[in-house]
Order: sequence, then C-alpha cells, then structure tokens
Amino acid sequence: MSEAKAVVEKKRRINAVWFLPILAAVLGGYMVVYTFLTEGPTITITFRTAEGLAAGKTAVKALNVDVGIVETVELADDLTHVIVTAKLDAAAAPLLREDSRFWVVRARVGAGGVTGLGTILSGGYIELAPGEGEPVGRRHRYMGLETPPVTTAGTPGVQIALSSEQAGSVSAGDPVVYNGYTVGRIDTAKLDANTKQVQYTAFIDAPYDVMVSTGTRFWNASGIDLDASAQGIELRMASITTLIVGGVEFGVPDGVESGTAIQNGHAFKLYRSYKEAREEPYQYSAEFVLRFDQSIRGLGPGAVVEFRGVPIGQVERIMLAELAQIRNDGKADPIPVLISIQPGRLLLGDDQAAVDRIDAGIAMSIRHGLRATLKTGSLLTGALLVSFDYYPEAPDAELGQFAGYTTVPTVTGGFSQIEERVVQILDKVNNLELEATIASANGTLGELEKTLVATRKVVQSDGVQTLPADLAATLVEVRTVLESFSHGSPLYERLNRTVTELNATLQSLKGLAQRLETQPNSLIFSSESGPDPRPEARR
Amino acid sequence: MSGYAADTAASRGLALCHVCFKLSPVEQHICPRCGEHLHLRTPDSVQRAAALLITAAILYIPANVLPIMYTEQLGNTIPSTIMGGVILLWHHKSYPIAAVIFIASVMVPMGKLFSVGYLLWSVRAGRTSSKQQRTTLYRMTEFVGRWSMIDVFVVSILVALIHLSGVIVIRPGAAAVSFAGVVIITMIAAEAFDPRLIWDAGEDADE
Repeated sequence: MSEAKAVVEKKRRINAVWFLPILAAVLGGYMVVYTFLTEGPTITITFRTAEGLAAGKTAVKALNVDVGIVETVELADDLTHVIVTAKLDAAAAPLLREDSRFWVVRARVGAGGVTGLGTILSGGYIELAPGEGEPVGRRHRYMGLETPPVTTAGTPGVQIALSSEQAGSVSAGDPVVYNGYTVGRIDTAKLDANTKQVQYTAFIDAPYDVMVSTGTRFWNASGIDLDASAQGIELRMASITTLIVGGVEFGVPDGVESGTAIQNGHAFKLYRSYKEAREEPYQYSAEFVLRFDQSIRGLGPGAVVEFRGVPIGQVERIMLAELAQIRNDGKADPIPVLISIQPGRLLLGDDQAAVDRIDAGIAMSIRHGLRATLKTGSLLTGALLVSFDYYPEAPDAELGQFAGYTTVPTVTGGFSQIEERVVQILDKVNNLELEATIASANGTLGELEKTLVATRKVVQSDGVQTLPADLAATLVEVRTVLESFSHGSPLYERLNRTVTELNATLQSLKGLAQRLETQPNSLIFSSESGPDPRPEARR
Repeated sequence: MSGYAADTAASRGLALCHVCFKLSPVEQHICPRCGEHLHLRTPDSVQRAAALLITAAILYIPANVLPIMYTEQLGNTIPSTIMGGVILLWHHKSYPIAAVIFIASVMVPMGKLFSVGYLLWSVRAGRTSSKQQRTTLYRMTEFVGRWSMIDVFVVSILVALIHLSGVIVIRPGAAAVSFAGVVIITMIAAEAFDPRLIWDAGEDADE
C-alpha cells in the first residue's frame, strides 16, 4: 500500500445554486398570493341579449366609473339567454350586494328623454347599481335588467308599490305627478301572471315624499278620461306631459283622512281614473247580491247604487261564474249582480259596526217593501243604475242566500217596466173578441149586398127604364111653354104693355097720395093758391 | 473501491483540468499548468442541475399562464398567451407556423425539462441500463437548447417593428421574460449536468 490512493470524501453540502429555485418559488408564490389578494370578484350576469357587449372590452361601471370589465360573453346552455362573466376590481367588491342591479347602458329613447347618447360611439357598458342588501361572495350570479331602472340607488325619497288591474298607458319611466308637478317616476312595471295584476314600483323624490301618506290615492292620469256613465258624460284631462307619455297622479280625495306617514315599500292600489279613486274612499262596505229577472244591458261594474237618488254604493261585478256553477236545470235563472254599499257614504262611519248596521237595516226594511230595481240613468248611453226604494205594493219577499252573499229581493223596473206595460197592452189587444165582431160585420155586409141586389132589380124594371123618355117629353113641353113667354112673343109684348100701363097708373096714384098726405082736405076743398110749398124732409 | 467505473481516468486517480483540459493526477489538487483546482467530476453536478431544473420548471408556469404579448389595436388591448397564439394560428389554418411555435415553445422546453429530470433521476438512482440512449438524450438536449428561444425572438422583433402609436402597438408581456428564463436556465442546467456520471454507475456490472 505504498502507492497513495485517492481518498474520496462524499461531501454533503448544499450548493449555493439552490438559491435560484427558492427565489423563483418565493417570487412565484408572492405573485400568486398578490394576484389572489388583489383580484376582484368575478360575477356572472345573465341578459336576454348580448347586444353591445364585447368580451374583454365592455366595461362595468358604477356611477360612470370603471369598476370592471367583461371577460366572456357566452350563450347559456338552453340558448335562451347570454351569460356574461365580468371581472371586477377588488375595490368594487363592496358594491356587490344581494340586490345589486346590472343593466346594459345603450342609447335609449324613452319617456324620460334620450339617455345613453355617449354609448353610440363608445359602445355600451354594463352599469352596476349597488344595492343595500347583504354582501355576497366573490362569485355571484345576477340577473341583468333588460331596461334600466329609472331611480339610481341612494336617491333620497320613498319607494312605493302600486298594483293595478290593467297596465293602461303607464310604463316604467313615466312621471308621478302631484297637481301637474312631477315629483317622482315609475321605476318598474311587471305583470304578475298569477294575480294578473300589474305591479309597479314608483319613487317619490324627497322632499315630496312627505306628501304621500296612508290615505293617499294614486290613479292613472294618462291622457284624456272620458267617462259616460249613468251620471252623464265627464271629461277630465291631465297635464300635457302625462297626456303624451302617460303617468300617475296622486292626491287625497275629499272626505278621506290623509292618514299617517308611510314606510319604504308601502303598497297602494293604482286606480284606473280619478273618478274611481275618488269614489272608492271607503274601506268598509256591505256586499249584497241582487238577482234580476230582466235584461241588465247597460249595467256594469262601477254602476251607481242609489237609494232614492242618493248614491250609497256601486256595482262590483256580474256574478256569471257563480251562476254557471249553480246552474243545473233548464230554468231561466235570474242574473246575480254583486253590489257593495259603503256606510261611509251615508255618514254612518267607515268601520265594521257600520257595515253591520247596514245589514240589519236592510233586513228590517225588506218587510216594509224595500226593493232593488234597475233604472235608466242616462237615456243617451243607456247605462243602468241600481235603485233602492220602497214598493209597498210589491209582493212579500225575504232576504236570501247566493254564493255566500245575502240577496236582496228585486222588482222589475226601468225600460223593462215600460216594456212590460207595452206587452200588457198588446196582450189586451190580443184578447179583444175580434172574431165575433168580424163575424157580425160579415153578416151586415151580406144584408147590404141583398139590399143592393133588390135596388138593382127596381132600377132595372120597365117603369124605371121608360122614365127618361117621359122626362124628355115633359121637358119639351116645358120649353114650349117657356118659349111662349120669351122676348118678342105676343104674350111677352102684351105683358110688357100691361106692366107699363100699370106703372103710369101707379105714378098718378102716387101724386094723389102725396097730395092727400099734405092736404088731406083737398078731397073736399079745392086747392088754394098759397106760397110755393117748401120741400121738407119727413121727420 | 473508488466507486468509479473501472478503466476510466477517475479510477486511476487522473482528473481533467476544467480550464486547460490537462490530465493530471488528482492528488495534486491544482493543475500544474494553469493552476485550476482539479476535480474528478464536476462538483455538485446533480445538485446544481436539479436546482436549476426546478427553477426552470417554476418559471415555466408564468411563461404559459401569463400573456406573452399585448396587442393594442385602436385602444383595444388583446392579451395573447403562447398556447392561445398556437390555437389561434391553428384556427386560421396556419398549420406549419402553429406547429413550429408549438414545437419550439411548448414541446422543446417541456422535453428539456423532462429529459434533464430523467437523467438526474437515473444517475441518482444508479441506473446502469441504456447508458448509450441516455447519452444520446443528453446530447440532443444540449444541442436543442438554444433553438427554443424562437418565441422570445418573435416577440422582440414584433415589439420593435410594430409601434404605430394609437393604431397598433405590441408590448411584451411578463411571460416573455419568464420564457427566456426557462430557456436559459434549462441550458445552464444541461451544462451543469456531468454526463460522465451516466457511465460511472455500475460499470462493472455492465461489462
């Protein structure tokens, strides 16, 4: 072992080059952590259409400040809508609440004017309206709004809910006016498929929100309200703005308590017209069913119910559904009409006790002849109204039951009454014994005919036939006689002379008579010459 | 036993100088010609190669995940990653270019990472089989190393050429730096690996 051998030592030391992977790992880890910490939430929003949206380009803005960007725009699996994935800045995370709303801002022309003009050149963007609900996670799904909400969150004022049975001409963005002054607007309009009612949310700006109280009534102020009812024709026109774009008006009708202040989200009924809002100021009403045996043409929901001309209620509806349910025989069932009587109209108070009083009062009055009847309210429109009155001669009747409502007995009235009388007259005409009369007239005519036949026989007899010839002969003789008296005939001359002579004689006799009159003694004494006699009138 | 295979310079106590390649007895410690330290094998070869390989592997992640370049076209910035570019080219029917970029930017770096990793593992585990193939693998790895910089070159040229401010501008992304790092570090790792180690293991058993 004289030769030296290499002694190899296995040195286990860490090479400095390990610093490189550690540095890379640390840097990489730092980048990952930093990215994760500063990464904003990624949200998905569904829209019906991706119009104006571009992945990697369309911005998400809150109050027009960029807070994120659209990453992807994809079709949903069922191809009915698009799913937009947007990456938001970390600073925008607090904006994401449960009720945050997203909508696409495009150029729009609406009732409130033209909005989003800036997007024509820059392209649309997604507006984020932060809500006030609970904060949500970093990956939340939102339903995008198809139309932008009119009121941005945080506006001072009060939000109310309105429900209406028909949409009318009110739509989102329409103004809410008070006495013609715009104080708020309709935010959303949605048709509820279950209740078939249109649900609106409206926003009343501060400081006008204090004008809305529990007694406030809202009505559709759209355009022109022409109402032709039993009360006559009424025309009501709102402001020009609402005339063009529609709108909702509100106020407290006369005789209604204004009530107390309301909370956010208070629900109101949206009446179809001012008239309806005014006429429904009562909360309590007694309901009755009237069953009419006559045509109710002209009677509809809202028709007035009167007691001797005083409005006490209105017709609610014609109960055709209930009629169809109970109808099982072929008889002519009377048509049930549901009416409501508001004790408040009669100043009995607007509470349940007053309703009970109405119930009891009607039950008692039936015995004294209280009946309901249909009357013609307007000859022009043919609208009917229901009138309560006492008919002491009406046959006895009782309160009944129909579909859970109390029925009040009715008597026939209105045009039907006239109609009935005409029918009665026609019946009488029908019942006249015309046939006997006609028979006797026939007999008379037979007699007359016989008489005429007899007469003709007389006329046609020989004696009568020769009469004209005899008559002609007689006339010839008469003429001969007359000719003998005619001008120039000897008899005529003689007669004329005789008359002339008679005339002269009479003249001389006249002179004698005059003389005798002035001097009666001249018959005995001769006439003495005296002064000329003066003509004197007789006295 | 020395642990080195029989009939090698190392088994006879001879070491090659790293600088002037003079063969001298290792006992001298210092090269008699140039004064460099003498080592039988590159010191800490496996450790250094492994450390560099891990660094390259770590860098390879951002190189693929982050965008390698940004194209700003009329104010509209489009980031593109390596794989995204390959897929885009493929969709545009530019199959040869897509293939070139895929091979140079994805397959080659990956292949290098795996082949160096495999060589290191085989040496550490003292594998004695298929020494010839492993040597070929090492030679290929070393040869192909510099060619995978294509991506980085493309990005550098595009950034330099296309710079119409406001109309179209191309900016490099963070992945370009990472990718260049991957290529360089894998090259160094391949250099750091001493291929003689392949042949050291179990030379006796092999013959």
